[in-house]
Amino acid sequence: MNARRWRKGLGTSGWYLLLIAVMLVTAIPFLWAALMSVRETSASPFPRNRPAQIVPYAGLIGWGDGASEARATGEYRGEGGWWTDYGPANRERLEGSALQPYTFAATTENYVRVAQDIPIGRYFLNSLAVAVGSVLLTLLLCSLAAYPLAKLRFKGRDVLFLIVLSTLVFPEQLILIPLYVMAVNVFNFQDSYHGLILPFAASGLGIFLLRQVYYSIPNELIEAARIDGATEFGIWWRILLPLIRPGLATLAIITFVSSWNNFLWPLLMLTDTNAFTLPVGLSYLRGFFSGSLRTVAAGIVIATVPVIVVFMAFQRQFIQGLAGAVKG
Amino acid sequence: MIPRAAPTVAAPGAAPPSGRQERRTTVTAYLFLAPALAFLAVFFFLPLAQVIYYSFTDFNLYAAEWVGPANYQALVQDPLFWLSVRKSFVYLIATPILIVSSLTLAIIVNRPLRGMPFFRAMYFMPAVISAVAIGMIFELVFADQGLLNGILRQLGLIDRAVPFLQDPALVLPSIMGVTIWRGVGYYMVMFLAGLQSIPKELYEAAAIDGAHPLQQHWYITVPSVRPIIVLVGVLSSIAALRAFDEIFILTSGTGGILNSGLTAMFYLYRQAFVFNNVGYASAIAVVFSLIIIVFTAINLRIGGTGER
Repeated sequence: MNARRWRKGLGTSGWYLLLIAVMLVTAIPFLWAALMSVRETSASPFPRNRPAQIVPYAGLIGWGDGASEARATGEYRGEGGWWTDYGPANRERLEGSALQPYTFAATTENYVRVAQDIPIGRYFLNSLAVAVGSVLLTLLLCSLAAYPLAKLRFKGRDVLFLIVLSTLVFPEQLILIPLYVMAVNVFNFQDSYHGLILPFAASGLGIFLLRQVYYSIPNELIEAARIDGATEFGIWWRILLPLIRPGLATLAIITFVSSWNNFLWPLLMLTDTNAFTLPVGLSYLRGFFSGSLRTVAAGIVIATVPVIVVFMAFQRQFIQGLAGAVKG
Repeated sequence: MIPRAAPTVAAPGAAPPSGRQERRTTVTAYLFLAPALAFLAVFFFLPLAQVIYYSFTDFNLYAAEWVGPANYQALVQDPLFWLSVRKSFVYLIATPILIVSSLTLAIIVNRPLRGMPFFRAMYFMPAVISAVAIGMIFELVFADQGLLNGILRQLGLIDRAVPFLQDPALVLPSIMGVTIWRGVGYYMVMFLAGLQSIPKELYEAAAIDGAHPLQQHWYITVPSVRPIIVLVGVLSSIAALRAFDEIFILTSGTGGILNSGLTAMFYLYRQAFVFNNVGYASAIAVVFSLIIIVFTAINLRIGGTGER
C-alpha cells in the first residue's frame, strides 16, 4: 500500500520535472534577454575557464543623466538625474562567499539609454491604438457579415460564402504588392493609424468563425423576436451580439495579437520615426545601436514585459479562445 | 461593386406577401454584408486582380509598361528564384517537427495535475510575443558571446564560438529552430482542444486490454486528433512558407550571407521593396502563391478531411 503511494508520488514528481524542464526551454531565452539588459559591460558573461556570471546584484542604479559622475563619486543627485552606485558595497559583502564568482553588477543604464534615444512609450501607444482600432473594426464588420450568412435565407448566400472563404486560400503575400501601391498612390496611408487598420479589417477567417457561432443559436429565438416586431438590426444588436460574446472574445484576441505583432506591413507603411509601432521601433532600435546588444536587450524587455503581464492576466481566455476556435 | 438586391420597389400591388418578405430579407442580408464585402473588394479582390496585371508589366511603383510574359520567362531562368523556392521548401522541415513536438506536449499537459494551467500558459507565451522581439532575443542567444555558445563552451563541447548566424550552412536551420520554438505552444493548444474531446472510456478499455500507454496514444490519440493534425499541418506549413519576420531580423534585413536565408518570401520582399522591381516581384508572388495553393491542396488530399 505504502509502496504504491510512493511510486505514484515519484511518478508525479517525474511529471513535474518534465514540465519544469520544458518550461525552462521556453523561459530561458526571455530570462537571458533580461539578464543581458542589466549588464554593465559588453564582456562575455561566460569567461574562459571560470564560472558563468549569471547572478545579478545591484550596481549602478538610477535614472536620467549623470551616470558617469555617479560611477566616479558613488552618488549623483542632480537636476537631470538621480544615481547611486551600490556596486562597491555589494561586492564587498559578497567577498569570499561561494556565490561570488557567479555574480555581476546590474545597472539601469541601458534602460535609460533606450528611453533617451527612442520614444518607446510613444511606440507602445501607437501599437495599442492600432490594435484596439483593428479589433473594434474587425468585430463590427465580421459580426455584421456573419449573421445573414448563418441565419437568413436569401439569393446568392452560398456564392457569397464561397467568396468569403476563398480569401483564406490565397496567401497574403500575393496581394501585398498591389496593396502597397494602392496605399501609397491612392490612399496616402503612410504614417497613419488607419493605414495599418483598414487593409486587414475584414477577415475571412473572422466571418467564418462567427458564422459557426451564430449557427449554435436556436432559430426559435430569432423567430420569437421577429414576431414581437423587432427589426433585423434590433435582433442582431440586442439579442444576438450578447449571445455570441465568447466568439467575439476569441476573434478579438486573435485580431489583437496579430495586429500587435504585425511587422512587414507597418515596416512598409511607416517612415516617420514617431509613427512607429513597437515591432518596427524595436527593429529601428536594433539598427540604431548596432553593436550594443545590451541596449537592444533593454528595448526587448520594455516591449515584451507588458504583453507578458496582459497575457498572464488573461491566459485562460487566450487559451480557451484558441481551443474553441479549433473546435468550431 | 456590391451586388445589390433585386429592385427594392415592388411591382405595384402584384407581389404576393411571401415574395415581398423574401425580397426584404434579401435586402436586409445584403445590407448586413455590404461593409465587409466592400472592404474585401477594395483590399483583397482588387489587389488580387492587380497583382496578375502587374506581373505582365515592367513597373517601378509609378509607371507601368506592358511587357507580356517577359517577367515569367525571366523567372524561369532566374537561379536565385529557384534557390529561394528550394529554401522555402527546406523550411517546411519545421512542419513535421512542430506536429510531433506539439502533439507530444499536448498529451503531457493534458494530464490533470495541479498547476497545469500555469504550465500551459508558459508554453503558449511565445505565441503572443512578436516575431521581431523573439528574433532579437534569439540574436542574443545565438551571438558569439551568447547563451548557446556560452553553454556549449562551459560544457567543453566547443573551443571557438559557433557562428550560428554567419555560417551559411547554419543560418537557415538556426532560424527554423526559432520558428519551431515559437510555434510549439501555439499548436499545442490546438491539439489540447482535440484531446479533451476524446472519451476517457477509450483509454480505460485499452488499458484493460493490456495496451501500453504509448500504444494507447498511437492507436487512440493519433487517429482521434487526425483532423487537427491536418489543420496544424496546413497552418504550420503555410506559416513556414511565408515566414519573414524572423528571417528579416536574424539576417539583419539582408537575407543572410551568400543568400543563405533567402526564402521565396524574402526574395519577393527584396525584389519589390529593395530593388523596386514591382512587376518582377508580382510574377514571383503569383508563381509562389500557386505553389503554396497546390501544396496545400495536396496536403488536404493526403490528410483526407475533404468535407463530405
